[in-house]
Amino acid sequence: MGYLATKDYFEDRDFVDKWLYTIRTGELDLSWMKAATEKVKPHAENPRRGLIYRDIDLGAYGYSNLPEKVRRNRSFAPRGAELPEGLPDAQPWVSRKSELWAHNTDGYYEEAVTRQWNATTDIPWERLEGVELPEATGKALSQLMTFLTEVEMIATDTPAMWLPRLNPEFIEVRAFIAAQAMDEARHAEVFRKRALTTGHGLMKASPMNEMALKHLRDADSFSEMSVALHLVAEGNVLTLFRFSEFLSPTDVDKRIFRLVMQDEARHVGYGMQHFKWVLEHFPQKREVLHSHLDEAENISFASGAATELTESFIVLAGGGLKQENIAQGVKITTAFQLKQMHEHFERLDKCGMPERKSGDRSRLWNMFEMGKAAAAEAGIKF
Amino acid sequence: MAVRFPSTEYFTALKERMAAEQARFRRLGFIDTTFGITVAGNGEPRNFILSFEVFELADVREVDAIDAASVDFVIAGDAAVWREMIDNIRRNGEADTHHDINTLTHFGEALKISYADPEGHDKLYRFMESIQEFFDLTSQVEVSF
Repeated sequence: MGYLATKDYFEDRDFVDKWLYTIRTGELDLSWMKAATEKVKPHAENPRRGLIYRDIDLGAYGYSNLPEKVRRNRSFAPRGAELPEGLPDAQPWVSRKSELWAHNTDGYYEEAVTRQWNATTDIPWERLEGVELPEATGKALSQLMTFLTEVEMIATDTPAMWLPRLNPEFIEVRAFIAAQAMDEARHAEVFRKRALTTGHGLMKASPMNEMALKHLRDADSFSEMSVALHLVAEGNVLTLFRFSEFLSPTDVDKRIFRLVMQDEARHVGYGMQHFKWVLEHFPQKREVLHSHLDEAENISFASGAATELTESFIVLAGGGLKQENIAQGVKITTAFQLKQMHEHFERLDKCGMPERKSGDRSRLWNMFEMGKAAAAEAGIKF
Repeated sequence: MAVRFPSTEYFTALKERMAAEQARFRRLGFIDTTFGITVAGNGEPRNFILSFEVFELADVREVDAIDAASVDFVIAGDAAVWREMIDNIRRNGEADTHHDINTLTHFGEALKISYADPEGHDKLYRFMESIQEFFDLTSQVEVSF
């Protein structure tokens, strides 16, 4: 048992007597009714949208005036509540706003909540009845789904494990991270279901992929986790989902990929906003984030080129195993890999880190340049 | 009565059907994005700006040119490609696997996406299902060209 109460309440005579006294007499303490807190009267600015977090950004309850370093509250108390003596120290790891904040965090959360979908009832699974894909395509689809299920399970764990480490003053970020964990759990569910409905069952786990996933899980700080997860990994996966939608053999697969890409793009949006925020408000972290990006790019490059992903993608893209199919598949897959890298550097540039578009700063940039040259030589456009 | 494509009347017809199908679009969630549509033909291209807010298309207007910085993204293509997409939706009730927006825009060969800001570009994907289902409403509209 990791935590013991500071008292054995069953043996605390005063505590038990007070409980029994209240039952017998109905005499109430009511001191909580005099809580020294601010009284506000929020209303929905846009009734069509409903009462959103932005509408309750008021006084001590709001997020606009959060200090950079939160020192007043280390308990589980919600922002704006009276903090009496005796609250426990919950030992949050992250109490610095620039470590986790992002412009429009509350907006991303509200969007997440309204755009939730259901992998059981929102996918027209019945349309797969009687659909028989050619063996190679079916196996490639199932391998892709196996890979993605593996990815999404760690993408669920990673934000979830940071939740209790975030100071409760940052309720909007905690809500967004909780919604993200739910999104990722649904992705793991939908990919697992689709893998099994191919008739080929799950295929092979990927050691290369799992190394990359471990890197996401084991980041030293929230910002490093966010850069690796939201910006690098999910940025890459967003491109992967768009290509997968493009390659989808059935309209059911198309719908699956359209729905997951919406969630992924939202996570990337938060990641970009957070990255911008941390570079602007905690500039000392720039070099730390560079170092983390060095490793994130190394691992994402390896994971993106993992045999289990690349080959299944080539077969799906080309539509089979004949030589002409493979040639077509290699073209599309190369375009996909270059697009991933292009969009990665484009996002970093937009966030305020243009210097990574250089071989001196990023080895992935060197690979990108090399890949572009090889693709041009092979007549591949991206 | 048939509405012509491209025209503000076409997009307004979709806007009205979107409003009529509130339950469906509420289920898909908030959609907050402003994007451009360009339809190139033999003459001058026709440009439209569509502004979505909360659950609906709040505004549609035709403009002479689209400043990429003032919108999240622009979807552009020849009138023939748009027509093929519209015909396909009208025939199937929704876009088939070769005619949905992500597929048509993917390599920029049929329709092309342009943007000034990668965050704006990502909004196409954040709201993809709503945007697709918005265009799928074409199945309920008589369209002439």
